[in-house]
Amino acid sequence: MARVTERWESRRDTWLFAGCMLLSALALLMPASWGMTVASGLRTTALAPFVWLQERAAEGRTSRTRFRAVASERDSLAELSRTLSGLVDENAQLRSLLDLTVRTGPGFIPAEVLHQTLPTDGRTLLLDAGKVDGVSPLDPVVTPEGLIGAVREVDQHTSIAMTWAHPEFRVSAVSANGQVAGIVGPTSTGDASRTGLEFRAITYRDTLPDGALIVASGLGGVYPRGVPVGTVVGVEREQLGWERVYRIRPAAQPSVAGHVLILHGATPLRIPAAFAVKRDTTDSAAPGAPATPPPVPVATPQGTPADSLARARQHRFRADSVAAAAAAGVPARPAPKAAPAPSAPADTNGAAR
Amino acid sequence: MTSAKAANRLQLTVALGLLLFLQFYVRPRLFEGRYAPDFVMIGLVLLALRSGPGMGAVAGFLVGLGSDALSPARFGAAALANTMVGYFAAQTRAFFFADNLLVNAGFLFGAVWLRDLIVLVASGSADQGLATSLLVDAPLQALTTALAGTVLLVLFGGWFRIRLDQQ
Repeated sequence: MARVTERWESRRDTWLFAGCMLLSALALLMPASWGMTVASGLRTTALAPFVWLQERAAEGRTSRTRFRAVASERDSLAELSRTLSGLVDENAQLRSLLDLTVRTGPGFIPAEVLHQTLPTDGRTLLLDAGKVDGVSPLDPVVTPEGLIGAVREVDQHTSIAMTWAHPEFRVSAVSANGQVAGIVGPTSTGDASRTGLEFRAITYRDTLPDGALIVASGLGGVYPRGVPVGTVVGVEREQLGWERVYRIRPAAQPSVAGHVLILHGATPLRIPAAFAVKRDTTDSAAPGAPATPPPVPVATPQGTPADSLARARQHRFRADSVAAAAAAGVPARPAPKAAPAPSAPADTNGAAR
Repeated sequence: MTSAKAANRLQLTVALGLLLFLQFYVRPRLFEGRYAPDFVMIGLVLLALRSGPGMGAVAGFLVGLGSDALSPARFGAAALANTMVGYFAAQTRAFFFADNLLVNAGFLFGAVWLRDLIVLVASGSADQGLATSLLVDAPLQALTTALAGTVLLVLFGGWFRIRLDQQ
């Protein structure tokens, strides 16, 4: 009798194990969006008390070491801000001289990282800020050191951030001097504290020295321009003599980040919007010219293509002016050698700035 | 006899509740970084060692599902890993004296390492990251978990001594 019971229990255990394995495999194989939906449902129901508990713990984590670190950062920022006021005034005056609109930076939402114990914790981070705090999907997540990633999913009180260690992470980046642009992505998909970054799509003729800072270019509409991504630590590989891939040491480490900033309200970099002019610029545009400026297809931080467009349009306007003057019977003057002064009428698309 | 059984189960429930409290409140306050002990894994292994393989597998699946929800790098990977850990922890108790402190510590060390291995493989890690994680990070976390489990067993050993499947 005892043997029959044991056999039945053994068979039951096997069936339970097989059932759990089957369900796990289904969870693993189902589409990622379904998995995120199930995960979100669990976080907001069964796991909500535990998330709440961990949020309280993260809020209360004010050890002496952490307090000292925060105090040091505050002192450094205070020193920096002392010198910034002059720069802000100077920048405002220059923008006013150039008739540029006020540059509005994104706001930010502070959040604590609720670290988990899985080895894949650094790829996605659970943050203690959600919809009620104003977080939206695709909001960039940064630390004082640099870029962490972007918000992938938002619940009421929490959100999930996809970090740069995630295999799907990509950011359009550019060297700090603005000369080399490309795409940054993770090198491997292992632990986030070990995974590095690659700076890809660099033409063979462009070279970057070790230690060169790489920042987000602002293209793509997710990450704001200028956020540090990492520094170059060498050439990863070269492909067929046309592309060079650089190895990047990430500026920020998701595995050890305890406190992050979620940038909210960052707008994608579009030259007409970022450099909108305030006054009417009809100038001598040819009759029948479009009232609105044509869209600028690409923008780079260094502004090379934009400058090319501006130069081309400047030549066109100058030619139009000469033609208009000739039609009015005014003798044509030789074209000036230097660029027009800032007070000269601006071109219609503002790309010159 | 029935009241003793109920008392034992209550004791075990309180012990598991304590482990959850340690995991979600004490661990984030005391430890930073990846090498913090995994108290949920301690609870899973101790529960699996004292119950049957089926119960261990179900408990592992539920714990894994929770882990996947909180860290959804690849949903289902932790469920798969913890199911296997729970099942095999219960199976291997037949070969060891599960009330021995060192054996329990060894189980915990092996469980964390095996969990990390399965999670990393199931979530598609590259070779380099996998090797580093398995040879450096996972052993360190397994060690801290084994130490924490040993301390807990010394303090609350009586609460985990019952054999659920033999009551």
